[in-house]
Amino acid sequence: MVTKTEGEEAGSTKVAGSSGKVSAERGLHRLFLALMAPGLVWYAVFLAAPMVVLAIFSLGRRAPNGGYQAALTLEQYAALPTRWVPFVNTVRLGLIGTLLCLLVAYPLSYYMATRGGKRKTQLLAMVVIPFWTSFLIRTYAWVFLLGNHGVPEVLRLLGFGDVRLLNNSFAVLVGIVYNYLPLMVLPIYVSLERVDPALRQASKDLGAGPWRTFRQITLPLSAPGIVSGGLLVFVPVLGEYLIPVLLGGGQTYFLGNALADLFFQSRNWPFGAAVAVTFILLIMVLIVAYMRFANKLIAEGREVPLL
Amino acid sequence: MRSQPAWARGAVWVALLLVVLTLAACAPESATTTVAGSPTTAAGGANLGDTLNIATWPNYHDPDTIAKFTAETGVNVNVSVFGSTEEMEALLRAGNSGIDIVVPTHYAVPAWIEDGLIEQLDYAAMGNPDLSNWNPLFIDQPFDPGNVYSIPKNWGTTGIIYSPKVGTPVTSWKDFFARAADDLSGRSVIVDHQISTIGSAAVAMGYDLNTVDPAELADIEAMLIALKPHLWAISSDVQPPLRNGDSWLSMAWTGDGVQVVRDNPDFAYVIPDDGGELWVDNWTVAADAPHRDAAYAFLKFILQPENSAADTAYILFPHANPAVLGLLPPEVANNPVIYPDQADIARMTLSSAEAYNSQARAEMWARVKSSS
Repeated sequence: MVTKTEGEEAGSTKVAGSSGKVSAERGLHRLFLALMAPGLVWYAVFLAAPMVVLAIFSLGRRAPNGGYQAALTLEQYAALPTRWVPFVNTVRLGLIGTLLCLLVAYPLSYYMATRGGKRKTQLLAMVVIPFWTSFLIRTYAWVFLLGNHGVPEVLRLLGFGDVRLLNNSFAVLVGIVYNYLPLMVLPIYVSLERVDPALRQASKDLGAGPWRTFRQITLPLSAPGIVSGGLLVFVPVLGEYLIPVLLGGGQTYFLGNALADLFFQSRNWPFGAAVAVTFILLIMVLIVAYMRFANKLIAEGREVPLL
Repeated sequence: MRSQPAWARGAVWVALLLVVLTLAACAPESATTTVAGSPTTAAGGANLGDTLNIATWPNYHDPDTIAKFTAETGVNVNVSVFGSTEEMEALLRAGNSGIDIVVPTHYAVPAWIEDGLIEQLDYAAMGNPDLSNWNPLFIDQPFDPGNVYSIPKNWGTTGIIYSPKVGTPVTSWKDFFARAADDLSGRSVIVDHQISTIGSAAVAMGYDLNTVDPAELADIEAMLIALKPHLWAISSDVQPPLRNGDSWLSMAWTGDGVQVVRDNPDFAYVIPDDGGELWVDNWTVAADAPHRDAAYAFLKFILQPENSAADTAYILFPHANPAVLGLLPPEVANNPVIYPDQADIARMTLSSAEAYNSQARAEMWARVKSSS
C-alpha cells in the first residue's frame, strides 16, 4: 500500500515534472495547427472535397435529361477508350510543347544568368511583364498574327506559297511555348544563377573546352531547374483548354476540350467525372515517376526544388 | 560570384508566382454586370424587393430598357451572361443559383419542365399577355404546348454567311457541304454545336434536321469526318475569320449574320433553300427563384410591345409578336437578315429536345472533333 502510494506519488511528480514540457509542446503543436489551418482548410475545400465529389459522380449514371443520377456502376470507366484519341493528342503535344519551351528557355536563361550583368533584373522583368496582360487577350492576338493576313501573307510575299499557320497543331504549339515560357525560364534561371562562375573557370583552366564544360559542369548543375521547369510547363499544358479552342480552331482536340464538351454539350456529368478522375490519377502517377527518374539522374540524389 | 542578394532570389520566386497566378486567371466562362438604377421605392406600392437576377446570353438585352424598368420599380437587375443554354442548365441543376429568370433556347425547355427546374408561368401576374396572334412557328409548339412554362423572347435561324469571294452564291446546305469540301476547301467554318452542325449536315443529305437514327448518323459522321481536313475551323466564334478574310463561307446564327452583313454589305446571310434549323429563346422563371415577384413584374414590363420593340431594336434578333414588328424602326423591320420571308422560315424546323439530349449525337460529335 505504502510503496504503491509512494510509487504513485513518484509517478505523479514525474508527470508533473514533464507536464510543463508537454504543455509547452502542446502549445507549439497548437500554434503549428493554427498556422496550418488556413492552408489545410483551403486544401480540404478546394482540392479534397471536389475530388471526392468527382469520384462519387464518376460511379453514377447520366440522368435521363442530363446531369448526374446516383448509382454504383463502373459503366463510365468502361467507356473511357472513347476518349483515347484526345488523350494521346494532349500528351503528345504536351511533351513536344514542353521540349520546345526548354529549347527556347535554356539559352535565354543562360544568357540572363551569365551575361546579364547589371541588367539581370530588367531582363527578368521583360520575361514576366507581358504576363500582366490577360491570357485570353495574348492568345487571341496570335489568331491575327497567324491568320492568313498575318505571317502567312509575309511568307507569300517572300515566295513561300500558301502556308497555313492557324487552326492546326503548329498554332497550338506556338500558343503553348509563348504562354508557358516564363514557367520554364525562371526555374532554369535560378539554378544557373547559383552556379559559381569559378567552376567554369576551373574547368577551362584544367583544359576542358566550352562544350565539355557545359556538358560536365553547367548542365548537371542546372538540371534541378530543368526538372522543375519541365513539370511546371507540362502539367498545366495537359489541362489546357483555351489554346486549342482559339488557335486549334476545333481541329486539335485536347482532353480539356473533351471534358468541357462532356459537361456542357453532352451534359454527361458522370462520364466527364470518370474521364477527369482517370486523368488526374494518371498525371499524379506521371509526376511521381518523373520526380523519381529525375532525382536518380541528378547526381548524389540532390533534392529537386519544386517551388 | 554568388553575390546576388537573397532578396533578388526571392524576387525570382515572386515573379514566378505572379506568372502562375496570371496563367490561372484565365478567361471567365461567365460575367455578371449590374445595371444600377436609382433606388427609388417601388411604383404602385407593390413590394418587389430591390433585386432581380437574369441568366441569359451576351448582348441580349437593351440596357436602356432595363434601366427604364429599374426607374419604374426600384428593382436592380443583375444580368449574368452565358455562352450556351447548356451552361445555364448546369447552373440551374447545381441548385441554389439565386437566378430568377432564365432565357433558354427552346430545345432545353421540355427537360427543364420534366425535372422541375422552371415553374408554370403566372399569366395573371404578367398582365395576361395574349400570344394568340404571335408568329405560329414559335407559339404553342411541342417543346411547351400552350406556352405554360415559357414565352418567346426572340427567335432566329441557323443560316449561311458567305463573302463575295465565293463566286456563285451558296444557297442550300447541300451546296454548303459540297463546296466546303471542294472549291472552298480551307475557307469554310462550321459551328461547334452538335444540334446546328449535325442538323444542317442531315438536311444537306436529305435527312431530318433532328435525326437520331443510327444509320443516318453514321452517314453524317462519315461525311463530316471527310470534310474536316477541308475546314478552316470548327468554331462558334464565326465572325473574326469572316471579317479578316480567313473564311469565305460560314455556318452562322442570325445574330452573327446581322452584324457581319451590317458591317460588310457585300456579304450575304441566306436562309438555305433546303431548310434547316429554326430556334427561339424563351422567358422562363426558375422554380427556386428567390425574387419571384420582381421576376413577374419584369416579364409584365418587357412583354409590353413598346418595351419588347426597344429591346429588339437594340439586340437585332426578330420577335414573334406582330405588334412589336409594327413598332420597330423600318431599317430593322425591313432588314431581310433579321426578318426573313415567312415562306423561307416556314421551310425550316425547330430543333428538338430529343436531338439536344441525344448521347448518340453528342458522342458522334466528339468523334468528329477528335478525328484528324
